[in-house]
Amino acid sequence: MTPGGIKTRKSHGEIAGETRRIRIIQALSRKNWVHNVAELVINRMERQGWKPYQIDAIRCFADDFRHGYLKEKPCIFTSAFVPNELIYGLGGVPFLPEAASGFAASFGFALESLTACESLWYSPDLCSFHRAGVGASVLKLAPKPAAVVVSSQLCDGGKRSLFQISQYHDCPFYILDVPYTHSALALDRLAKQIEEAAIGLERDVPDLSRGHIDKAFANSNVARNCYLDLCKLRTNTPSPWRGSEALNYVVLFLWAWGSPWLAKFYQSLRDHAEDIIKSGDYPVPNEQFRLAWLNLRPYYSPKLFNYLEDTHQVSVAFEEFSYMYWDPLDAGDPYMSLAKKIMANPGWGPIERRLDVIDKIVREFSIDGVVQFAQWGCRQYNGAASILSDYLRKKGVPFLNLDGDGVDVRNSGEAQSITRLGAFQELLESQKIKNSR
Amino acid sequence: MRADSYVVGIDVGSSATKGVLLLDGQLVSTFMLPTGTDLNATAGECIEHLLQSEGLTEKDLMYIVSTGYGRAQVEAADRTITEITCHGRGAKALAPRAGLVIDIGGQDSKVIRLDEDGMVADFVMNDKCAAGTGRFLEVMADRLETSLMDFGRMWRAAKKPAQISSTCTVFAESEVISLLSGGMAPCAIIRGLCDAVADRLLGMVHRVGLAPDVVMTGGVSKNAGVRLSLEKKLALKVTVPDLSQFAGAYGGAIIGYELARREYAQGGLR
Repeated sequence: MTPGGIKTRKSHGEIAGETRRIRIIQALSRKNWVHNVAELVINRMERQGWKPYQIDAIRCFADDFRHGYLKEKPCIFTSAFVPNELIYGLGGVPFLPEAASGFAASFGFALESLTACESLWYSPDLCSFHRAGVGASVLKLAPKPAAVVVSSQLCDGGKRSLFQISQYHDCPFYILDVPYTHSALALDRLAKQIEEAAIGLERDVPDLSRGHIDKAFANSNVARNCYLDLCKLRTNTPSPWRGSEALNYVVLFLWAWGSPWLAKFYQSLRDHAEDIIKSGDYPVPNEQFRLAWLNLRPYYSPKLFNYLEDTHQVSVAFEEFSYMYWDPLDAGDPYMSLAKKIMANPGWGPIERRLDVIDKIVREFSIDGVVQFAQWGCRQYNGAASILSDYLRKKGVPFLNLDGDGVDVRNSGEAQSITRLGAFQELLESQKIKNSR
Repeated sequence: MRADSYVVGIDVGSSATKGVLLLDGQLVSTFMLPTGTDLNATAGECIEHLLQSEGLTEKDLMYIVSTGYGRAQVEAADRTITEITCHGRGAKALAPRAGLVIDIGGQDSKVIRLDEDGMVADFVMNDKCAAGTGRFLEVMADRLETSLMDFGRMWRAAKKPAQISSTCTVFAESEVISLLSGGMAPCAIIRGLCDAVADRLLGMVHRVGLAPDVVMTGGVSKNAGVRLSLEKKLALKVTVPDLSQFAGAYGGAIIGYELARREYAQGGLR
């Protein structure tokens, strides 16, 4: 399904950004003993008292990375909103270059990845989650994909950058062209595309077979139930979980539906939140305000959130990307079920759908103010900022559009961001005083 | 609280540090000096000047609020408050009818919409770029070998503005050089530059919503050229109070006075 049979692969010379430490990681990530040592380290972390949900999350990624880097299972690259139950259900493991960009930023490798990508003619004006994803892939920081599956939602840059990755690695590319408006016909059309992609993957990629779909769907549904329990607990005031941490685990929310580890992770996290509420040992104990956070966060520095949560006792009570938007999956009708999941994404289609979800978050999580992290180059969210601002203003909910970049530190002014967040906190404070009069 | 309770607001900006001294909530004196490399020392010097001007010592000070980009560096401060809140309060005190504040400082610009009580209802700041700030105008004035204070006179002398298309300080500078080499009159270029700054601000103004009483604060408020461009584009009169450069420090001092009174009432200050 390579569109038009276009071949953009060229013989690259030296890729910019391939430093010594990158070459070391390239080599180490593909060694069996490194993954064995990683397992020992995780076991030790568990004994040292890391929280069970943290261990489960690390194990989830360690498991997928092991299979992907060591080629134990076919590694399928997917864009952020492809339902990965499809990939686990075929017996593969997913790899999300956009989500991996967040990892690269957290571990300090983003700049090399961005440089590598820019050397391939990518403009620095594009979203850094895509640029760093392409860069990490061409630098071989990511495993080699056996195939690439993308959906046309939400980001246009996503499908094009993943197409480039498929060309670079000379592997099959499948695109799910998601209809913009809802109808029975649209669902049928999408379900048929998903089925065709599944058949194509089974045909084109050795070791993939549709025999695991029931299991992946069951894993997804169990995880979903635990996750809904967790969401209910997060409505508690004060918040039982730090929003800064929740925004880190959004990566898992995008990645691991269908993995057996995800259900385990959300069970542990639900138990953790329950314990926090019972003990009263809240992470932001003197919670002054509760924010809803839209879009992602800067992954290279914790300063913004330390400033909010610790200095000002302001919680990020819930995140737009953590919103559960789909119904339980039906293994009896798998492709239609996945089509419904994709189409239910509130970020796709008319803006009213997204506004409705934000409104629900504001009400259910007792939100005092909404912050949209205006990711550099993010067309679909930044393009709607004025509509969002007007909508929330009419509802009397303070709104801050915070310019920044989640991956590329060069596009962020941390001191400026802190001033904006500080002023927003002061605005909430003055409104609270005014309302109490 | 004693009747002779002095409070200081100190605004450590990127170009200048401004201080305001209040006695029982009333403005007593102001002082401004260039911001040095040691922000805390500059703030200390500013406070020292304010005290000396009234024959006071540190013991006479009840409360200090710091604001501005260097606010966190002021060790003597009892409280730090962002420049957005402080400029809003200061502007309202300097121009009581103010509904919208346009503050242009050395390294950033902000537009603040105030509610009927003078509290910040909404705000927006420029993005991570020097375009539309005092620094942008300083660079251009240097290139045109003129003074910022002369911008108003030159703006009025221009028959029509030059077209400055770039919003980047570096690119705009090279555009200015091209215009000069093409024979464009400096006054037309200056008017074009002021229009470019006003255009950027116009977008920010409409993001928070235009209010009828517009007040300009910050160092660039003293630049008549930018004010004239803004007035033309907004089709509104823009008020520039005498102490417009001190709005942040004044707002900080007013908030400091309120906080001191509150803490005194709660037994925290004597």
